[in-house]
Amino acid sequence: MSGFGAPLFITRHVLIALVVGGLGGVLLMAFLIEFDHFTSRNEFCTSCHSMTYAEDSYRETVHYDSASGVRATCGDCHVSEGLLAATWDHAVGIKDLIKQFLGPDYDDPVINTLHLPEAAFAARAWFRQRDSATCSRCHTQEAILGKRADTAAIHREETEGKTCIDCHYNLVHRKVPDERAFKREAWNRMVEEEFGLEPGMAARLMMGPKQAIGSLPVLSEQSP
Amino acid sequence: MSKPALSESLHWAWILLLSCLVGGGHALADKVKLDPGNWGHEAGKDCVSCHSKASAGLASEWRESGHQAAGVNCMDCHQAERADVDAIEHEGQIIATIVSPKDCSRCHEKEYAEQQGSVHAEAFAMIEERLPALADNVGGPGIRAASCDQCHGSRVKVKGDGTLDAATWPNSGIGRINPDGSKGSCSSCHGRHRFSKAQAREPEACVRCHSGPDSPDKEIFEASKHGMLYAAQRDEMNLQAPEWVAGRDYTAAPTCVTCHMGAAGKLPSSHDVGMRNSWSLNSPVSQRQFLVVFEDGGKLELPASEPVPKRGSELTRPDGTLGKVKSVATPERRRQAMSMVCLECHGKTFTQGFMEQFDGVVELFNGKFGEPARAIMAGLYEQGLLTPTPFDDPIEFTYWELWHDEGARARHGASMMSPNHAWWEGMYLVGRNFYARFLPEARAVAGARAAELVEAHLTDREQHQWLNRPDQSSTILGFGVGEGR
Repeated sequence: MSGFGAPLFITRHVLIALVVGGLGGVLLMAFLIEFDHFTSRNEFCTSCHSMTYAEDSYRETVHYDSASGVRATCGDCHVSEGLLAATWDHAVGIKDLIKQFLGPDYDDPVINTLHLPEAAFAARAWFRQRDSATCSRCHTQEAILGKRADTAAIHREETEGKTCIDCHYNLVHRKVPDERAFKREAWNRMVEEEFGLEPGMAARLMMGPKQAIGSLPVLSEQSP
Repeated sequence: MSKPALSESLHWAWILLLSCLVGGGHALADKVKLDPGNWGHEAGKDCVSCHSKASAGLASEWRESGHQAAGVNCMDCHQAERADVDAIEHEGQIIATIVSPKDCSRCHEKEYAEQQGSVHAEAFAMIEERLPALADNVGGPGIRAASCDQCHGSRVKVKGDGTLDAATWPNSGIGRINPDGSKGSCSSCHGRHRFSKAQAREPEACVRCHSGPDSPDKEIFEASKHGMLYAAQRDEMNLQAPEWVAGRDYTAAPTCVTCHMGAAGKLPSSHDVGMRNSWSLNSPVSQRQFLVVFEDGGKLELPASEPVPKRGSELTRPDGTLGKVKSVATPERRRQAMSMVCLECHGKTFTQGFMEQFDGVVELFNGKFGEPARAIMAGLYEQGLLTPTPFDDPIEFTYWELWHDEGARARHGASMMSPNHAWWEGMYLVGRNFYARFLPEARAVAGARAAELVEAHLTDREQHQWLNRPDQSSTILGFGVGEGR
């Protein structure tokens, strides 16, 4: 049957399946690569209004504006290297999308700020679990010289058992204390002062919109 | 033993008792008697290792300190509980940036007990309510943190994000209200991170705040015989001595610390800097004052014109809380305590004579200028001729400077023997202000009612009667007697 001398089990159907599967696989890979690229772009992330608050602070930092023009995008820091890991991170990221639609109104600057600490803690834990892998996309610890006299020595001699995020948090986004010293009460008070809310309002807003009906539309008009 | 001698020794016994009640010991900083097991935090060596590179000055100053020698490290002072208002995470440790007097009291218990409630510890609390009228109205945003608060202290604010509000920190004002509620800042006088005894005994430890127009104590000291001797004999001051008792460990000269805090002869030292002050000098009219010590360790300056508070009775403090009276030091006792320092180098009549000269200046200021000026101002306010808002009329600046700057200079000048400050920088300016600025301005404000609201406060005082004798010629202005007439 086989005029080309191919093994007998390569039937016509198998051949078609291999070609279709192979092509499909290539297409899937291409899709995932494109998907990763597309969804790691700043424009994608900030297409949700809630993410523009994170963008505001990021734009103030050297990770956005550096003299050399090197610019880290959202995905550079927050999406793992490697197609499988990146795909996994995006898949997990779907929960953020669900929360955006079904959870609290993160587009509201007050709600956003109130919930920011938990988001920060989660992001820091993510970095820690991965030994701050995304930092080393750009930074090589042995090559860090710094501008102050002993920065190089500190990175050489004082970093045993530590990963970048252990020291370098509050680098790009709005300052949030470490989870071990975080005080919800104080954070709420700060938000109330900042947005001119009456005392106790922050705690009510944290419980959900029902407790704070009537106040949100007014709040939303205020800028952060 | 003759009767006067007996009463005299009772006298001293009383002063010693008072000093002990307010807290006292021979060395200024009591030797810490705690077991060294109380310090030497495990993580401290990591702090030192890194801070020998990052902000290395911190570690190198600490390396020169008594703390380092005793094995007290960064964490021993900076460690915090997670629940502390100002606790932060730093390199895996929970710490606080601010080391408050309460933190220092973990080892320096005696000094904390003395310092809490002192005029130093209360330096911010006592002006907090009046501060806005000057700092905010006349000054403006930004001036408090850089100026007023750097001496008086700030009410340190911890922001919700864990950072210390830059409007209130950095601050080492001596009456700082710390996140843990304690008052004061040990580093106000004891420079970080060496905390040298010798440095704190120097007059320069006080200069940052006790200088300038309203309290030129640095300038006064330098212009006094005490300052002259100190400058010439500084190398004989024995400043490094573990104990520093005037008359025993040194006699070359006194510094600020010697008279206001230091041990002298049998008089124990104290970190309550105002304990030996019988007068309030920085007030519109000086008052002799009681020092009331409460059961809870708090203290209160009470004008001696008030009835003597009874032991066990309750008094209201400036912050509104009640305190139960434990003991009361009369102005006379406080004066005796101060005089004990003088007596280490001066005779008794010399000391008493000096005190008389000093009191004379304070009473002159009070009777001739302070009291009538206050009465005139009170009348102008009462009659609605001045608004209740301070400093919105030029006369309010005039009055403020009369007692707060010039009047304080005259009184401080006399208290610490600078003839120049007592007169030219002090009482001369008080007189010039009173006659050439204050009275004309007061008459202008009072208008048709000047006789009743202004002149009435002068005519009954003999000290101003020279104004009614216009024919007393003198050559002081360069004109001969009768010349030009």
